[in-house]
Amino acid sequence: MSQAAEFADLSGELAGVFSKGVDASWPEMAFDDLALRSFAYQFSTNPVYQGFARGRGVSPEAVGSWQDIPAVPASGFKAVRLVSGDPGSVERVFRTSGTTVGTERGEHHVLDLELYRASLLPNFSANLVLGDADVRLLSLIPTPAELPDSSLSYMIGCVANHDAFGRAEFFVDAGGRIDHLALRNALARAEASEEPVLLVGTAFALVHWMDAMDDGAWAFRLPAGSRLMETGGFKGRSRTLSRKELYAALTQRLGVPTGMIVNEYGMTELLSQFYEPVIREGSDPGLTERRLVGPPWVRTRVLDPVTLSPLPDGSPGLLCHLDLANLGSVCGVLTEDMGVIVDDGFRVLGRSTTAEPRGCSLAMDELMSATSLNHEVRP
Amino acid sequence: MTPFDGWTVPVDAGALLGEERAESAGGAVSYPVLSSDGMRGLCECLRSSREALVSRAVRDIAASLGAVGARFGSAGDPLREEALSLLPRTAGVSPPMAELVLDGMARDWTVPRLLEVLEAEFADPCVLDTFQAGAKGSFRALGPPLTLHIGAGTVPGVSVTSLIRALLVKSAVLVKPGLGDVVLPNLYLRGLQEHDPEIAAAAAALYWPGGGSSTSDGEAAALAEADAVIVYGGDDTICDVRSRTPASARIVVYHHRLSLGLVGVEALVCEVMARETVSSVARAVATFDQRGCVSPHLVYVEQGGVVSPAGLAGLLAEALEALERELPSGSTTPEEASAIHQVRGATELRIAAREDVAMYSGGEAQWTVIYEPEPDFKPSCLNRVVRVAPIRSLMEVVPHLASVRRHLQTVAVLGAGEQQAELHEALARAGVLRITGFDDAPWPPPWWHHDGMGPLTTLVRWIDAEG
Repeated sequence: MSQAAEFADLSGELAGVFSKGVDASWPEMAFDDLALRSFAYQFSTNPVYQGFARGRGVSPEAVGSWQDIPAVPASGFKAVRLVSGDPGSVERVFRTSGTTVGTERGEHHVLDLELYRASLLPNFSANLVLGDADVRLLSLIPTPAELPDSSLSYMIGCVANHDAFGRAEFFVDAGGRIDHLALRNALARAEASEEPVLLVGTAFALVHWMDAMDDGAWAFRLPAGSRLMETGGFKGRSRTLSRKELYAALTQRLGVPTGMIVNEYGMTELLSQFYEPVIREGSDPGLTERRLVGPPWVRTRVLDPVTLSPLPDGSPGLLCHLDLANLGSVCGVLTEDMGVIVDDGFRVLGRSTTAEPRGCSLAMDELMSATSLNHEVRP
Repeated sequence: MTPFDGWTVPVDAGALLGEERAESAGGAVSYPVLSSDGMRGLCECLRSSREALVSRAVRDIAASLGAVGARFGSAGDPLREEALSLLPRTAGVSPPMAELVLDGMARDWTVPRLLEVLEAEFADPCVLDTFQAGAKGSFRALGPPLTLHIGAGTVPGVSVTSLIRALLVKSAVLVKPGLGDVVLPNLYLRGLQEHDPEIAAAAAALYWPGGGSSTSDGEAAALAEADAVIVYGGDDTICDVRSRTPASARIVVYHHRLSLGLVGVEALVCEVMARETVSSVARAVATFDQRGCVSPHLVYVEQGGVVSPAGLAGLLAEALEALERELPSGSTTPEEASAIHQVRGATELRIAAREDVAMYSGGEAQWTVIYEPEPDFKPSCLNRVVRVAPIRSLMEVVPHLASVRRHLQTVAVLGAGEQQAELHEALARAGVLRITGFDDAPWPPPWWHHDGMGPLTTLVRWIDAEG
């Protein structure tokens, strides 16, 4: 079978099982089977990954379970091109932010955007939309047309285009400028309409927006059922709020209860995302007790930071993911984030201070800081 | 293990500390939690004790400071023994490294070295005591009434040097050391309290977790009270402290710095010499586990010697492996360990992609040598992770430093031969602050222009009496 046909087969099979949703049961054997076949495919079609795996003494014959599949470091996406298949067939390249001088940008070469969509939609839907077809999407994340190399923008674009999610409006451009008037009008309309909204944004965009609006004279009461997706964290930048402060401010300004605010955790290097399942489960254990949960086609381990051996649940270590949606690149990715396994998910304990900045949130913050200097957004 | 008491204040300021104590993350250090009133009281107390300091002769002050400093270098002295027993767990260094670092640091705290720096900085150090006649009028120099020293904690001992400098110019001192450097300033001040209570009454060391959102009321009060702020740290820390320092206070910053090494063919003319060269390079990398601002991140090696740049990378790996036994690595934080895995893993991928790179590493030991032909300066994640890059001629290095020019500090050079004068001039113009050899790279002389500034003159205020 040709490489392309092999990819199409496996990718189609994965998309098929993803479509059963995030609540489908995935016994260990089912995951192992797909993971081992994906590894064999990647080993045979990605010479760089093959060399890396051989260097670590691993080949498909020697792998008995998904835990044995070698993970590449997240920074590997900066160093080399990781494509499992024909590089000529790459449909899109997503890039990490890396706007800080002297840092290189990581590149995720995506062979099949359909598989990305197959992973992101059921997961987003289960965690943020549920059965409400009429939820209106308001986005502080730029459109994919504005930021074509942002995987986050692509994700929100997909969600916005999907029939189930109703109308969508975008309020931030590629330069990080917020259209304050349009956003205020949209929120006022939503308040009057009794139609719930879903507001999505990076933590930074939300903070910048509230800072700019903060004359104390405004507060919306968004209709019951309205919800918020916040992503990106603060990553040690200048204007930092604790999560508690941010959520309290959002609740006060928008009338959305904390239990309807969900943190999304994603990386350019992974095509699947993790969410706090507070809406999905209908209960919020409190901010410090929340956990992030991925779809069943991702498995997460915590590794000893020095030896990289797996740690028992409950011990803090480096988060290492195996994401089957990464079939076209490399499934196993070792992150720089410290975390701890909690039940069927994990909690992020913070990020290496020596690591380079990454992700959309920082880029947006830099853009917005620059814009607020130029345009006097602050009152 | 009992946490180390991370504070030493003058006896009559003890009551200002209150009863509340906290522990640093990890529990190695405990510290009092000061209210803004408590901090203001402490600053006031230090400033009032400074009057006696101003009346003392500078050579007399140097004699006392040096006598205490020398104890840290004197085998068997209880102060040194206590320091050596505490440094491994508080500073993340191995016991042999603790000894090496203490020896190197304490050398600079002795009377002859202190007199050397005074004489290098002031034509006549008595200008710190009284007005001195000049060609026209007279003048005098005096340090600020109170200096606040905010340490980085990456290398133990740096905050002792900082506090000694301020006391030499008769400034009262409040040291807030970084977490990795809490022990030495406290032990030093405890020694000074014994030896010369009058000077010690004008100095305090006090740890608290500083900066950003965790800022305590006490820190804000200290920044408001200090007449000068001396801050060591990463660029973010510097920006944060600068933004909170009053306009009328002098601020002296020692921000993030990058150092590198240059090996010319003259240091590679025979196998024996090449091995000696490599041994010096390895030692410069390993000292302070590469966490010093003077530690080389990258070594450029001139082509054409008996050992090629790629060959030198291999020899450097052998030397670092050997040093791991003599001078073992200290402990790393999870973040530091993670950074090493990311660098190694990314390099493995580049090797798998058949790029012309090579890597040698110590497995669970941190040392890592990466040979790569790409000559642009890339900072290391530190902890003995060093790059080796080939260069046709040492002079060709200069353009590759442009992107980091404002962060450049030490360049260790060996074997530049006849290019030396021209090379020094080019490096000076490129932004470099210090040119030395690999053996001396970790240990700047006492008179060095630290980050381009006179260590004492940058602190003082000149008073001119005209006519």
